[in-house]
Amino acid sequence: MTRADFIVRLKAGLAGMPANQISDIVADYDTHFADAIAAGRTEAEVAEALGEPGRLARELKAEDGLKRWEEQKNPSAALAAVFAVLGLGAIDILVLLPILMGVVGALFGFFMAAIGIFIGGGFVFAAGPFMGPPGGPLTAVLAGIGLMAAATAIAAVTTIVTIGLVNLLVWYGRLHYRLLKPAIEPQG
Amino acid sequence: MPETIEIQLKKGVLTLCVLALLHRSDSYAYEIASQLAKDIDMGEGTIYPLMRRLQADGLVDTYLVESQSGPPRKYYRLTEAGRASFISQKSEWMVFTKAVDAILGAKA
Repeated sequence: MTRADFIVRLKAGLAGMPANQISDIVADYDTHFADAIAAGRTEAEVAEALGEPGRLARELKAEDGLKRWEEQKNPSAALAAVFAVLGLGAIDILVLLPILMGVVGALFGFFMAAIGIFIGGGFVFAAGPFMGPPGGPLTAVLAGIGLMAAATAIAAVTTIVTIGLVNLLVWYGRLHYRLLKPAIEPQG
Repeated sequence: MPETIEIQLKKGVLTLCVLALLHRSDSYAYEIASQLAKDIDMGEGTIYPLMRRLQADGLVDTYLVESQSGPPRKYYRLTEAGRASFISQKSEWMVFTKAVDAILGAKA
């Protein structure tokens, strides 16, 4: 592979990252070629020693996605982290997809249930006392508060489980890097 | 998977080696890469993702030095946090290798 081929394939693999980061990375590898050639090596030797540009790009990109997830735990970062790990090809997507769909579906169901129970609780809390419930108005108010509290608890537990699952996936992805950060280290 | 264990080992050690080289003197990526490729058989391409991570974690920073031939060269140096991390990782490594050596050297 020539220097130009390597750079083109690296750039193609990095597509999707912020432009200034791509140019930083490309400049690093370009300098490496320049230094190596100055030291009397051929372009083909250097490209061979550097490794497959596509793989380098995938890992650089994956680390970027995982880093974002560690800094900000929000749904879009979680999604980016999941896709980053899938992009590594560490897990066979055909094996993972049905499991992932099931898990995502179940979590989604729990969130929806929590929202439903919360709204129901709010209704019992606000309207219940005026509908002559058994046990008197106070019972309805307390039952409403209870339902809303339960819904909040379900949502909180579901959130913790979701974050845990994404962290697990990130850990697994890192285990499959050939470079970068060791996965065997205390989890942040 | 023995392959994975070897990779994990090298990845762990690589960070320590880079910090050690930079602790000795500031350096640029090609110099670090060729040194490590020669001494511990590490892929040269590995150094760039690693340097990016060390920089993102605040363990190293960079500065440019004018060179006679070509564009300015990017040098890496340890930050205070990098120095502290090196010292603690080095002592962990010493303790660990001493223990492993003792086990390996023990007579059956």
